[in-house]
Parts: sequence; structure tokens; C-alpha cells
Amino acid sequence: MDEPSRSPTPLEIRGLVVRYGERVAVRNLSLAVRPGEIYGLLGSNGAGKSSTMKSIVGLLRPDAGTVRVFGFDPAVDPLEAKRRVGYVPETPLLFEALTPREFLEFIASVRGIEPATATRRAQNYAKAIQADSELDQPIATLSMGNRQKILLVAALLHRPRLLVLDEPFHSLDPRAVRVAKELLQQHTTEGGGGVLLSTHTMEVAEKLCDRVGVLDRGVLCGEGTIAELRGATSGTLEEAFLRLTRDADGVREAVHSLGEG
Amino acid sequence: MSGSWREAYRLQSRAYPELAYHAIYAVRQGNLPPSIPPSELTTRATRRVVESKVLVSALLALVALGTTAALRPGVEGLIAPYLARELYVATVLSGLLVLELALLWWTGLQVLPTFLSSGILPTLDVLPIPSKTVDRVGFLLFLRLFDLPALTILILTPVVAAIGLGSAWAGLAILPGTIAVIVFALALSLATGRFFLRHVQGSPGGPGHAIVRWLYLLLWATPAFAMYGFLTFGPRFVGWISSVAASGPSPPLEALFSAFPFPLAAVPGLLAVDAGTLSGSDAVPAAVIALASGVYLGLAVAAAAWLAEAPAGFSRTSMLGRVAAPRALALHPTGPVLAVLVKDLRVASRTPGFAFLILLPLLNAVAIGVWTLLSAPSFGDVFNIAAAAVATAALLATFFGPAFFAIEVMGFGYTRTLPLSDRSLILGKVTLITLLYLLSSAIVLGLALLRVFDPVAYLGFIVAELPAVVAAALLELGVLTWVARRKGLPITNLYSGGWWVAAVAIPGFVVAGSPLAVFELLRSVSIDAALLVMAGISMAELTAVSATALGLSSGGAR
Repeated sequence: MDEPSRSPTPLEIRGLVVRYGERVAVRNLSLAVRPGEIYGLLGSNGAGKSSTMKSIVGLLRPDAGTVRVFGFDPAVDPLEAKRRVGYVPETPLLFEALTPREFLEFIASVRGIEPATATRRAQNYAKAIQADSELDQPIATLSMGNRQKILLVAALLHRPRLLVLDEPFHSLDPRAVRVAKELLQQHTTEGGGGVLLSTHTMEVAEKLCDRVGVLDRGVLCGEGTIAELRGATSGTLEEAFLRLTRDADGVREAVHSLGEG
Repeated sequence: MSGSWREAYRLQSRAYPELAYHAIYAVRQGNLPPSIPPSELTTRATRRVVESKVLVSALLALVALGTTAALRPGVEGLIAPYLARELYVATVLSGLLVLELALLWWTGLQVLPTFLSSGILPTLDVLPIPSKTVDRVGFLLFLRLFDLPALTILILTPVVAAIGLGSAWAGLAILPGTIAVIVFALALSLATGRFFLRHVQGSPGGPGHAIVRWLYLLLWATPAFAMYGFLTFGPRFVGWISSVAASGPSPPLEALFSAFPFPLAAVPGLLAVDAGTLSGSDAVPAAVIALASGVYLGLAVAAAAWLAEAPAGFSRTSMLGRVAAPRALALHPTGPVLAVLVKDLRVASRTPGFAFLILLPLLNAVAIGVWTLLSAPSFGDVFNIAAAAVATAALLATFFGPAFFAIEVMGFGYTRTLPLSDRSLILGKVTLITLLYLLSSAIVLGLALLRVFDPVAYLGFIVAELPAVVAAALLELGVLTWVARRKGLPITNLYSGGWWVAAVAIPGFVVAGSPLAVFELLRSVSIDAALLVMAGISMAELTAVSATALGLSSGGAR
């Protein structure tokens, strides 16, 4: 958490465009994650959430626009940006031939964490989310949930100032989800770090996120606190989501057609 | 074709692009495909799988071409002057079959993880398709992994025998042995693959388990070493048989024939050559060959029957071996360069294809070292063989070096998000290659010193070549990392990045080989002077290459 910054803002995205050939996954996206904030990115499958996150962590080079992590551009200063980020990908695919212990040791080495600190943190996080019983089995043999737990431990190991979490809870058991939520809140309230997380689960967004951005076909079609998004309708976040993505009619038609059998 | 087979064939033709996609992009192993339209991904993957198969087939064709030359009349007079023509033919063809077996088996071990991790059969299992049809899809997909190389063997081996021996009958006679080789290679790939899946890849962590894994891998690498061993020691082996033949009557030859890896290879020799050692009254060797051939054919039939069922079951096998009791968690982080090295060794200890790259130079050093100990009488002879062994270690380490880059495909989608510089990545792998060279050289040195104690000369040679080995490894890995960063795709295995591995291994080979060639040219003048010039060239190469290779990767994070 002691890395010097060029900017106090954990994440700033301006005019981001990501293309896959002819298909545009993210269109002119701009958003910011403020210090001490958990920002939720909501969107249907293929809305551009993962592409946005991959641009932040250096897995994709944006076709246009800029990304800044505490002022560092991952495309220009990749090492500086990556030092400040902890990332949990949507699909927990890792070194299949390593055990979690070996994997965490590799992460700690690359991130330059002291042995005692790395051990203490790994022990605490692994115990908290009950990932400590399978640390010596090859990752290839672990369930998706256990892989995701290991990724969460790896992402937190260097106490990053920005956490980028792509659907971090979808394979976790309820207990681990609860602990993970606590860890994220601790990360922002006590550490002053920022969190960008994507989710399909409205309940997660409502309970955890300070602000939410709604992505639809690569476009940010709504942004604000939960209350702001609900607006005057005082409906649920789900209703607000469907209204913003202009899909409420589509859902009604789909449900109706299901009834027709 | 029955309905079930027809349906299986139809389904495998749909599933095969998926297999190619996983072979090239290794998505289930944590890699990220490039940002191109999805339809292009499968087209490109299928094309590159074909290219890689062509590469393996070309290698097989090259071996076949060499064998044709070795079978020309008169060549045996140079290699094995005392050996009867039919014995010489049997030995050469047997060597060819063993090489084909080893190469196909090794290829199988390279591509099997793709077959397993593709998850195609488990996907089909949940669909309303008869399980027998799904099993047949598995069998057909497994066969397609080997199609072009296997066809190359099936066609070229009889052609080699026919042209080399000038008889179409000889070509036909080698056909049963050729089919047996293909069946054995496929069966060995599957059997050893399953064994390693459970006992090596699924092995828990910890130092004790690591030792057991490396012992398993050593056991596995020893027969696979035959491929290289036959190339290195083949002519000497033939020469040895020749001297045995010169010293006595037929009983040793009978024993040799029965011990041949492929007694079926003896038949073309007998057909193509006029009555010789094994004709007429001498019926015992013929009976031994017939019996051994029968056993081999029986084994091949059994292996074929097993192969028809096994691939499907194999692809559903759990990887989980013994479950380890939890140990107290203590992490011992190191610097990033050492972390890359340790990670690669750990990955290799659970991945036979990579373990082989590490064990091959070491086994080669042991083999040549023992040969030196047994055969060389004087300092000059010992130095010659030891220098050749060190040179081989240098060339092997640098030739196979690029393949270590393939380890990066695993978890690539995640490790690229870490602050690991290209420089650390390159230096980690260069350290591994350098250690392999030094360890191999130390083995040769130790064994050579037991014979003739003159450490200065041996050490001088090893040290003079060291900078060239480092330079070659730096060049290869520097270029690969540069390409990977721009293309967003690391070079993967033999079946997905063979062209790139060859493209960088050749310049690496030249860099590592140049000082050795200069030494060879100058050694007749003076060994000391030759070593001095060799060291100078070696250092110059390192200076030039390190600036370029590390410059290419400067500042880049993956």
C-alpha cells in the first residue's frame, strides 16, 4: 500500500474503446473509481465488463482512450500500474501444474513481498475463506470455487491499492462470499483503496457498492449511487437495470413466450 | 461404416476445430486468445495445427531419407565391415522403427494434455448421444492428433525399405512392423500419459513428492531417450554388432536378433538379400525371429484393441492422485528471476514434455560420460569425447531452450497482470538453460576425470563455451518474448508453435556452435590457442547478443 502515486484517484478511464475485429466491445467508456470507493460494473453477458477490466490490468491494449491507475497508464508504465493492482479474473485459470502454495510463493516473489509478511497474509486470508485445506494439491485438481479462493488470496497478498474483480463471487460458497465482502469493505474503509468489481448479482451491487455503472453493449448507460439509479421510481435495482438497458419489454416478451410453451 | 461410427465421424469433424482451438490457444490452461474475430480463431487454429503436423512429418521424412542412404549397397562396408548384409539391413530398419516410435510417442505426450483439457467428451456425455458413439468420437479425435505423422510413417517406411533395398517385396515386408510401431506409439502415449496424469501431474506439493515425481520422470525419459540415443550411438552400435559377428558363429547373432526392438525389421533384409547367415541349415535364428515377430504382432493386436476403448475413458479420468495432508503454510518468496526458474522447474516436474527437455541433456551427458570411462584409453581420446559431450550439451540446451518458453502459456492470462518484467522472465529461463549446460558438463567432467585427471583442460573448454551458451539462450528467449508481447500469444508446444521454435532455435544453434566450430578448426595448431580464440568469440557473442536481446525486452511487462 506504500507505492508512491502520480494521482490520488485509484482508477480513471477516459474514452475507452476495445474492438475484436469488427465487433466493438467497449464504446467510448469513461468512469472513475475514487479513493475508499467500491464501484460496481453491472451489465448483461457481453456488455463489455470483462474487456474493460482486461484493459485496466494490461491484458488488452485499448484501441482508443486512456486508462490511469493512480496516474499510471498500463499501456505506457505497465510495471508501475500492475504493482498497484490486485486482479481476480472471471475464469480462474492458473498454472495447472502448480499447487496453490507454489503459486502464492511465485506471486509473492514477483511482487517482492517479504517472506514473513507473505506467510502471515497468506495464512490469514486462506484461513478466513477456508482455502487452507487444499494448498498442496495441484491447481488442476481443484474445484472452480477453490481456484477462485486462491485467486482472491493472491490478489490481496500485496495489499493492492486498487482491486479489480471480475465476477469475484460467482463460484464461491456463501461463507466465503460473506468473508470476501467483509475483506473488500475493510480494504476501502481502513486502507482507503479502491475496488472495481463486475457482477450480475443485483444483491451484491446493492449491499456492497458505493456507486454503480451500468454497461449495455459497451456503452455506459447509467452511473450513480444505488439510490440515484433507482431514481424517482423507488423500484428495485433490477428494475432500474432493465430500464437503463431498455430491456424491460424484452424480458416481459421472453417470459410471455415461455408461458406459451 | 455402421450408423454409430458414421455419427461418431460426423461429431468428431465438428469437435475437431474445438480441439485445434485448445491446442493452439490453450484457453483452458489459462491463456488468452488474440483479439481477432471468433470465426478467424478456429480457422487460424486449424491451419496452425496442420502446419505443426507438417513440421513433425517433415522431421520423420528427414529420418527416412537418412535411412535410405544408409541402406544403399556398400555403405555397410564403411560402418560395419564384418556384418552380413541382412543383419546390417535389419539393424538399420530396426533403428528407423525405434526412431519413429519414439518421435510419435513423444509427440503424443506433447499433445495429450490438449486432448484431455479440451473437455469435449464430458460436453458430449451430457447430450442425448449413445455413450458408445461418444467413446468412438474420443477414439477418432485421438487418432486425428496423430494423423499426418502416422500416415508419413506408414507410407515412407515401406518406400524407404523398397528403395534402399531395391525390392518392392522388402517394402511390403516392413509394413507389419510399421503398423506395429504406430500402434505401439499411440498405446504408449496413452498409457504413459494416464500414468503421469495421476502420479506426476496430480502429485501433491512438498520436497518428498517432488523427488518421487522426478524419479518417475527419469524412468519415463529413459525409453524416450532412445530417439536421441539411436541417432548418437546407432552407428557405434552397428559397429559393435559387426565386431561381435566377426568374432564368432551364429549364437550371439540369434541372441541379438531376438533382442532387437523390432524383429519384424529382419524380414525385409532376408527377403532382399540372397541367402546368407540365416538361410539353409541355420534355421534356429529364423525360428527365433519368427517367434519374436509373432509375439510383437500379438502385442500390437492387443494394443490396438485396447486403443479402441481407452481414449474415451482416459479423457474422463480424474487427475487427482494421492490427497496430501495439509501442512503449515510458510511461503519463501525469492527474487523474480529465481521465481521464474523455480516455477519452471515445478511445472516441469509435473509435465513430462518439459521434464524431457531438462533430462535429455543430463541423460546424454551420463551416456557419453560412461562411454568415455569405458572406451577411451588416453588423454587425447578422453578429451575428444569429453569435448564432444560438452559441445552436445551446449547445443542440446540451446536447441531445446526455446521450448521452455512454452511453459508461459499456462496461466498466461493471469501472469500478464503481474508486475513481472520481460527481462526477469528471460533471465529466469536463461538461468535454467545455463544450469542445464553446466550440470551436464559437470557430469561429463566428473566421469572424464575418473579416467584421466586433467581438470584444467576440461574446465577451460567448459568455461570458454559458457558465454556462447548464455548468448544463444538470450537471443532465443529475447526474440520469443518480443514476438509474444507484440502478438499477445506465447509460443506453446510442438503442435502450436513449432515454426517459431525452429525459427529461433536455428540462430541460437549457430551462436552456440560457432565457438565450437572455431575450436575444431584450430585445435590441430594448439589446444591452448584454440581455447583462447574460442573464449574470445564466445565473449564477443555474449556482449553483442545481451545488448540486443535485453534491449528488445527493456521496460516491457508482459
